[in-house]
Amino acid sequence: MKILLAPLDPVHDAGLKLIRRKLEALGYACVLLPPDITVEEIGEAALRENVEMIFIGRTVGYGVEQLFQRVKTVLTQQGVFGKIRVAIGGMAVNDELARRLGFEGGFGPRTRIEEIHALVERNPDLARAVTHPVKDKPTFPYAHTYAVHCAETRNYLDQIVDGILDWVADKTSPGIRRAHITEAQLHEVQGSVEEYTALPFTREYLDQCDAAVGDFFQKNICPPTVRQITQDEVRAYLRRIETAKKHFHPRVLQQDRKQPLVFVQYGTGCPLMDGMHIKVAESAGADGVLHFDPAWGARTEGLMDGFLTNAEDGTPVTYANLWLIKCSLDRATLWSVRAHRGLNTPEIAVLAGFLGADLTKINIGYGSICGGTDPARLTVDGVEAMRIAVRHDMPFDIPTNEELAGVPPHKAFAGMLIMAQLGRRLGAKPILKPLLCHGPYIMVQGLMDQNYVDYNFAKIRALQALADFPIWPGEPIGFMTHDEEKVRSAATTALHAELGASLGVDAVTTASTDEAFSRGPITSAGRAAALHGIGETFRFFGETDLAPSPRVDAWTEELTVQIRRTLKTVAAAPSFVEALYAGLLGNKDDGAYPGRAGRDSVITVARPKKSGRPGATSAKQRSAPALTTP
Amino acid sequence: MTDARNQIVDALDIESYLLCESEAEAKTRIAQLMQSLGLARHVIVSLDFNGPGAHFRVRAYMNQPGDHYTWLQP
Repeated sequence: MKILLAPLDPVHDAGLKLIRRKLEALGYACVLLPPDITVEEIGEAALRENVEMIFIGRTVGYGVEQLFQRVKTVLTQQGVFGKIRVAIGGMAVNDELARRLGFEGGFGPRTRIEEIHALVERNPDLARAVTHPVKDKPTFPYAHTYAVHCAETRNYLDQIVDGILDWVADKTSPGIRRAHITEAQLHEVQGSVEEYTALPFTREYLDQCDAAVGDFFQKNICPPTVRQITQDEVRAYLRRIETAKKHFHPRVLQQDRKQPLVFVQYGTGCPLMDGMHIKVAESAGADGVLHFDPAWGARTEGLMDGFLTNAEDGTPVTYANLWLIKCSLDRATLWSVRAHRGLNTPEIAVLAGFLGADLTKINIGYGSICGGTDPARLTVDGVEAMRIAVRHDMPFDIPTNEELAGVPPHKAFAGMLIMAQLGRRLGAKPILKPLLCHGPYIMVQGLMDQNYVDYNFAKIRALQALADFPIWPGEPIGFMTHDEEKVRSAATTALHAELGASLGVDAVTTASTDEAFSRGPITSAGRAAALHGIGETFRFFGETDLAPSPRVDAWTEELTVQIRRTLKTVAAAPSFVEALYAGLLGNKDDGAYPGRAGRDSVITVARPKKSGRPGATSAKQRSAPALTTP
Repeated sequence: MTDARNQIVDALDIESYLLCESEAEAKTRIAQLMQSLGLARHVIVSLDFNGPGAHFRVRAYMNQPGDHYTWLQP
């Protein structure tokens, strides 16, 4: 096929030159006319060259519609239009405009050569790879050896892990007992959300719960900001989601290098709003999402059930809520449900596991000294949660948000490495989750006064020097570098994502552009804006890495020495739990305090026998929460 | 046809540049603007006053978590 390319512009023909190069590479014969020609000359050239198709480009956008109307009129008078196929393009042109004016098609600034090829051949399948990209769920985390490189570090870690496992061996807790009850019930109903939600709760379960949870089940009383979602709302929502899925085409943020994957944390308070935010995030290219529950949920013994919405941050964890969110996910979207920091850690891991969550989140250290949970209690519960994660083949990440309280990175990282080694011992796939942030310790020490690159580089490199674990900075990246202005916020998030890409990390968790805005809920548009920024930044840098300054080497070495020294101190403590109480992984001067929720609730007895859900129950049967599954 | 406002997932943001002589004046005029648009439930997300006026983004929540969402109404 022979194609005429005509720039209807005083000077610009770069776009058509680009198209010519690519069309010729596909085997088409092309004739490119020079700029600054008339429409009549284009028509004459088309007839003279005996072409089958004409592409007319117009860079300048003003008055483009009127101009192309005249083009059509002139070409029609010449006997060209109708005989030879004509498509148009330019900065202000799109396919809709072109077809409305009667042209065969239109192409704008972001048109790919595949789309032009499809237009030429009248075969949409030729562009399907770019217009309808296929996105498969990646196997995550990516392959790592999980080896601790330094023998001294490994010895300290093993010593600490031995101590933890020995300490918890004869201990249990109300949280573990509830997890066992819930696990037995879910086995019994084979994970069915309808059957599970219809089960009457047992006295055995309620005996392990706080009064608020008892009131919910026995008196139908919800916490002040929580209400039950109606059947009609659930049905209408599921119809919305099905419609959204019909019109969804995946978007890929990464360029040639496939990592880091980009995760979004949700937890607006409502599973319906969460689901809609997830659909928005997926449409903007998110690879995965993380569930955030409310802070009060972590400090309450026991979980409620049914479809519940909360008017404040954090979406209540219930089996039904999680199921609803799972229904919202695209098949390629990775899903993490955090269990890590509260009194329901093992039970949440059970729910997540039965619903097929891809990942969970557990960090005994952070939850104990910055999450409000008693160290002894969370140590017992955290180990059990890791075992549950292993049973359900859920890798877990280890957040280090204690840095936001002021804990120095080396202490937070030492705690994180202990959790990672503990997880490995139990057969899990732990993921390191350092912050890329401008945290209080870093501010006070002036470590990022010059830039945000160098010290973040040193932090990640120190971890990479010590061990080969997956690394997934969050939560979110760029913490405390954002402000309320949307563009600045998107820019700093995107640049931190690029920092992660340059460091070869496996994934990052993005902020929304509302990260620093605290006077109202995060918006779906704010989530999309940050993802768009990341996509453009990945495109800008491609496989080019950020280059830190030489001082990174000294900081990296200093951090590795400090991490090792901290591990040595913890290994020398009477127990890991006492090390937490003593502040060895973060003390009051660092802004870290041992939590009080669940204090004195650890039970030093033989592990209780597994309790299936008995048919007989003395607990008052609750009214069934709204639930309909399609 | 359904009112487009009912189809907004959560919030409507308006961003622009307002000619004014102080940050206080900007806030007053933005409140007047939102009232005139019938968007009483609003909050200023960002405001940068300098020189000729203020670069601002103001947000009106149509649906907040926990509401009975307009986009789920029949």
